Amino acid sequence: MSDTVLLALFDDVEPVADTLDSLRREGISENDMVVVSGVPYPARVLGRPMVWERLPLIAISGAFVGFLVGVFLNAGTPLLYPVHVGGQPLIPLPPSLVITYEFTMMGLIVSTFLGVLWESTFPSYGPKYYERRISSEGDIGILFRCPQERVAEFETLMRENGAEDVVEPEAKTL
Amino acid sequence: MSEQPHRWTMIIDLDRCTGCQACVVACHAENNVPVAGEDEVRLGRAMHWLRIERYWEGEYPNLKARFVPMMCQQCENAPCEPVCPVFATYHSEVENVNIQVYNRCIGTRYCANNCPYIARIFNWFDPEFPEPLNEQLNPDISVRRRGIMEKCTFCIQRIRRAEETAEAEQREVRDGEVTPACAQSCPTDAFVFGDLNDPESRVAKLARSRRRFRLLEELGTEPAVIYLKGGDAYVG
Amino acid sequence: MSVKATTTPVLVVQEDPREEHLLLDPRPTKELNGMILEAMQRTGKGFWLAVIILGALILVGLVGAWGYQILTGMGVAGIRRPVYWGVYIANFVFWIGISHSGTFVSAILRVFKAEFRRPITRGSEMMTSFALIVAGMYPLIHLGRTWRFYWMVPYPNQRHLWPNFHSPLMWDMMAIFTYLIGSTLYLYLPLIPDLAMARDNTTGWRQKLYRILALGWRGTEAEWHHLKTAINIFAFAIIPVMFSVHTIVSWDFGMTMKTGWHSSIFGPYFVVGAIFSGVSAVATVLLIVRRTMKLDYFLRPEHFDAIGKLVLVFSFAWTYFFFADYLTEWYGGEAVGKELLTLQAHGPVAPLWYAMLITNIVIPWLTLWNRKVRRSFWGLLLVTLGVNVGMYIERYIIVTGFLTRNRLPFDWGAYNPTWVELLISIGSLSTFIFLYAVVSRLIPLVPIWEVREGQIAHTLRRVGRALVPSVAELE
Repeated sequence: MSDTVLLALFDDVEPVADTLDSLRREGISENDMVVVSGVPYPARVLGRPMVWERLPLIAISGAFVGFLVGVFLNAGTPLLYPVHVGGQPLIPLPPSLVITYEFTMMGLIVSTFLGVLWESTFPSYGPKYYERRISSEGDIGILFRCPQERVAEFETLMRENGAEDVVEPEAKTL
Repeated sequence: MSEQPHRWTMIIDLDRCTGCQACVVACHAENNVPVAGEDEVRLGRAMHWLRIERYWEGEYPNLKARFVPMMCQQCENAPCEPVCPVFATYHSEVENVNIQVYNRCIGTRYCANNCPYIARIFNWFDPEFPEPLNEQLNPDISVRRRGIMEKCTFCIQRIRRAEETAEAEQREVRDGEVTPACAQSCPTDAFVFGDLNDPESRVAKLARSRRRFRLLEELGTEPAVIYLKGGDAYVG
Repeated sequence: MSVKATTTPVLVVQEDPREEHLLLDPRPTKELNGMILEAMQRTGKGFWLAVIILGALILVGLVGAWGYQILTGMGVAGIRRPVYWGVYIANFVFWIGISHSGTFVSAILRVFKAEFRRPITRGSEMMTSFALIVAGMYPLIHLGRTWRFYWMVPYPNQRHLWPNFHSPLMWDMMAIFTYLIGSTLYLYLPLIPDLAMARDNTTGWRQKLYRILALGWRGTEAEWHHLKTAINIFAFAIIPVMFSVHTIVSWDFGMTMKTGWHSSIFGPYFVVGAIFSGVSAVATVLLIVRRTMKLDYFLRPEHFDAIGKLVLVFSFAWTYFFFADYLTEWYGGEAVGKELLTLQAHGPVAPLWYAMLITNIVIPWLTLWNRKVRRSFWGLLLVTLGVNVGMYIERYIIVTGFLTRNRLPFDWGAYNPTWVELLISIGSLSTFIFLYAVVSRLIPLVPIWEVREGQIAHTLRRVGRALVPSVAELE
């Protein structure tokens, strides 16, 4: 690949959104640029297309698995070893709802967490393009991939747009 | 639940009870119940599965003592059973009594709190049977460790033995064949034990008495211990 | 209708909103990071001395006293027939109550976008996790055969016996387990960006630790998007879990046939009590944290003012439930119920009961309406400490007091805790403080990214003659 990764650092969000537009005009595709920041900026602030989020689906699937576990514990285990207590039915409905509810919530919570890890491919300590100024000084970075021969051109463009600094970041282990 | 084979029932005639405590001693001996000792009893940790509750009536000198022998009431709908997280206590379908499985108990003491009769006894310490009490331990019953809940079982070991004998001889258990230790030792015959499901048994006949009542019957626990109201029986 | 003002007009001197509101007082990121990293490394002689003393108390209480109890038997505690549950269960309910602080402050205020939450969320979420760890020890301490606790865990075992899901204790275990997992993950998720910040700005063992904990976080758009979505899901999911936890704790009592316990109001009554004591504990802890870790920039009077108002509101709510429960018992006229009321009004627990009424009702109502009290260190500290003493008494009376009176008067009893119970209680309190003190030196106690996000969203806007804060809906 003759492509190079550049990282432009800005200190405000306004020029970042403008720069993203300039990059698009220069023919950089949406997938070849990414904003890295220490504070969350919603897609609409950055003027980026909305992405479909799978996390709610993962959470609901997890909740459903939890629900099934709850149902098994309440309605399945008494059949495996029936023990009668207190004149209550073997599988009483009202008390069963409590455990079923707790397991549903447990499934929801655990799967949401695992979902975040899965969707963001965490943990990943391998080499990544990053610059510690993003967290330590609050800079907003644009990482983008551009052809080798146009590096100087893009660097100038970035600076014109108000970039504090433009670097060719090394992929470092985080 | 008359479709069940047995409904073991205890009748206690309060008119006959003299408060002599022979039943309490017999219960200790039969069921390997340790003696707690003076200090512990003063704290409220007497280990009696069966105790004589004594109530005073009237003002001195016109004082009456009333005695109520109290033990596990073997409730049909026992409040202690559903609250146990590990099924250490449950309802036996055959004998129709409330079973305590010592080895399953982890000692949450929830059952004891939920018993309206406060009939359950906890092993606060490991039991001690000083000489010569160790010589008379009942081999039919295990000795319970510290941290375990226990209670009156209607002398389940005697019920089981009678059932096994009857089965070996291919007959039904006869009325009067099972006698718990308390009933056996009672000098005034205040305790009568038998199967309520057998309409000809002594307990079934006594249970039809007009004097019958059950403790805290309004709670709906359906106790299997039936008391016969005491008239003027008093001491003092 | 006269146009004349009936009251004397007062000239309102406008305070500088920047001094009052953290979110209107932005500082460069470097400075914010510096403040929080410095606070984390603030470990003077006093800190180490406290840690050593706490460690010693934990050893004495949880190894010494608990070990002695396990080896000797439950008899070394003060429990006896008919008071089968004692201080351990009161402590359990108390610590579960404290654990409601974090979730309430963090999740509910997040859902309702209460902006003052931003700097205080992490500090209170930490309380939730640690209080749950301490609370979770108590059912084990309380077991007659602690070494058999795993018989309550539902797994296919050699005995082929599953636990009894009819039992409120099983519900309890599952609810606490869910809550512990949920609240710990909920503490961890928003922490990841701050851990990455700490990774980038520290060296040595700290950097190694944060590198692992930060999971390789950079702050890309996708990472933020997933994280924000997850935090939202968590905030909504953990609120019903929180309600269920203390409701189920109350059902340990409510499901029994004991007079005084068997009450359908116990669920909401306990939940409100838990939030009351939890929010008070947040105030207590944050006041101390602010002082010892020099976090004056982040934790400002406005935050304590807001927490103080919450405490007052929950004092009203608690009083309402307390009275509803009391009145029902009083009017019902059941013999045992009357005895319980007598027990509280002039029985052995009467001094405690009146102390509870004073700390939970009289003092908060008389003081917390006052802005000066809410904003003073000692004022708020003493009131909120008092509330927790009162809430502890409430649980102590409900657990141990109510058990002394039963339907059959022959079975009445008494209860006094022993030194073993006392040492274990001190040990568990020390565990909480120890964990909080140590972990507050390990992770950023204020969520820097959330504060920065809030500072970006907040601006001053001129309305008429006044400059008023206004918030942009960034999220």
